[in-house]
Amino acid sequence: MGGGGFTMEPGNPALDDYVRTLPPAREPRICLLPTAGGDSEEQIRAFHAAFDGQLCEPTHVSLFRLGSRPVPLHEHLLAQDVIYVGGGSMVNLLALWRAHALDVILREAWQVGIVLAGLSAGSMCWFEYGVTNSIGRPALTRGLGLLPGSNSVHYDGEPERRPFYLEAVARGDAPAGWGVDDGAGLLFRGTRLAEVVASRPAARAYRAHAVDGVAVEQAIEPRLLKARPHADGLAPLAVEEMRALSAARRGFRRD
Amino acid sequence: MRRPRQIVAFGGGGFSMEAGNPLLDDYVLGLAAAAGRDRPKVCFLPTASGDADHYIVRFYRHFPASRCEPSHVSLFRRDCGTDDVRAHLLDQDLVYVGGGSVVCLMGVLRAHRLDVALREAWEAGVVLCGLSAGSLCWFEEAMTGYHGASRPVQGMGLIAGSNAVHYDKEAHRRPAYHLAIGGGMPAGYAVDDGAALHFVGDSLERVVSSRPEACAYRVETAGDGVMELPLPVEYLGAAQHVAPALAA
Repeated sequence: MGGGGFTMEPGNPALDDYVRTLPPAREPRICLLPTAGGDSEEQIRAFHAAFDGQLCEPTHVSLFRLGSRPVPLHEHLLAQDVIYVGGGSMVNLLALWRAHALDVILREAWQVGIVLAGLSAGSMCWFEYGVTNSIGRPALTRGLGLLPGSNSVHYDGEPERRPFYLEAVARGDAPAGWGVDDGAGLLFRGTRLAEVVASRPAARAYRAHAVDGVAVEQAIEPRLLKARPHADGLAPLAVEEMRALSAARRGFRRD
Repeated sequence: MRRPRQIVAFGGGGFSMEAGNPLLDDYVLGLAAAAGRDRPKVCFLPTASGDADHYIVRFYRHFPASRCEPSHVSLFRRDCGTDDVRAHLLDQDLVYVGGGSVVCLMGVLRAHRLDVALREAWEAGVVLCGLSAGSLCWFEEAMTGYHGASRPVQGMGLIAGSNAVHYDKEAHRRPAYHLAIGGGMPAGYAVDDGAALHFVGDSLERVVSSRPEACAYRVETAGDGVMELPLPVEYLGAAQHVAPALAA
């Protein structure tokens, strides 16, 4: 995902629903790796708020809290149907995974057919190269290289990435790859692009490659995902009901 | 005058763990001020916690602008280049490394080449300190400060030997550290919560504490076994009461 899902589109679960329903399991086990965000409580809370009420079994693994909450990493991750990687610093993400041998575990997870998903740093990490902003300016940085080529995210949302990425592709510093807008997602089966989907009508993905030292971009029209039926109507109503209930318990009404 | 290299390694304590007991923080602030500035420059590295917001807020609360020039560097929300971070660290009187995961801390510091920058700062006389993971990181090797199984991890190696922290907190730490030393980990220091090792240059200058009962030990092999030698600890809270009596 170029950007989107529960951290960036809290009212639009289309991409998250898409990811959740990719594996064949009726109640897939979905594990969040919030590593790139420093395992921020905010990201973990948002994940559980988005997934706890859905047909799935959500968990998260915090590498920073392995001391107080030990998790057998290999065993837990290999038992998932989906591993969902949150956004943040791509440089820190890769460094922290390597420090915990998660680079090896995630490759194994991918090879046995566990769906790997993520946004922003959690998208670029799967490719050979990504465009990180985590050292104060756009820079190329290496990912795990499960997928060949390069990836640049927030293509529309953070406009300074695009010219940098295209120049890197033109010069040959970065291999050909994909620029992806917020709200768009690429599905790879094996190492082949199988589908491009979007949670917003305007979101696009672009194939970027060099032709005679010049970067060429080809827009890819995504399949627009349908919003979950009634999702928009139900949630606010439930919140209003909760508020009314708690107000009633406190003995006053807010009009 | 060239400032000496100094590191103060807390077994645990300071504002992160001892709300209401500023003895260890006052001690390192005193060392920083000794460099000659009224308001020493103090930079907090919350890296080992994943740059947790609440931790950064607590740092600024305990190191107010009335006493020092506080700043922090977030490596998860970095908005400037490596050279700028390096220059900022070299410009400090004190760099204070927070607690958390030492494995995560070392991974991130290395990815941003701050292990190199911190060594430079140390050599230039910037006082380095920290608790827990922020203590372990200065040594060649360390026992992870985890609950549950402790395991050896490589630090920056500014201080020769190894380190174990929160030594009094859990019963399994002592046997785990002894086992590691017996198994070839370099000899080192085990430190309770509230105790801190103050190194000047390469040698241990003194051990200070914020709690009268806090201990620190030198742990090394002896024959076939492992020997634990208690180190003399100066309780910082007693200083103002004891000093006049000694003078009299």
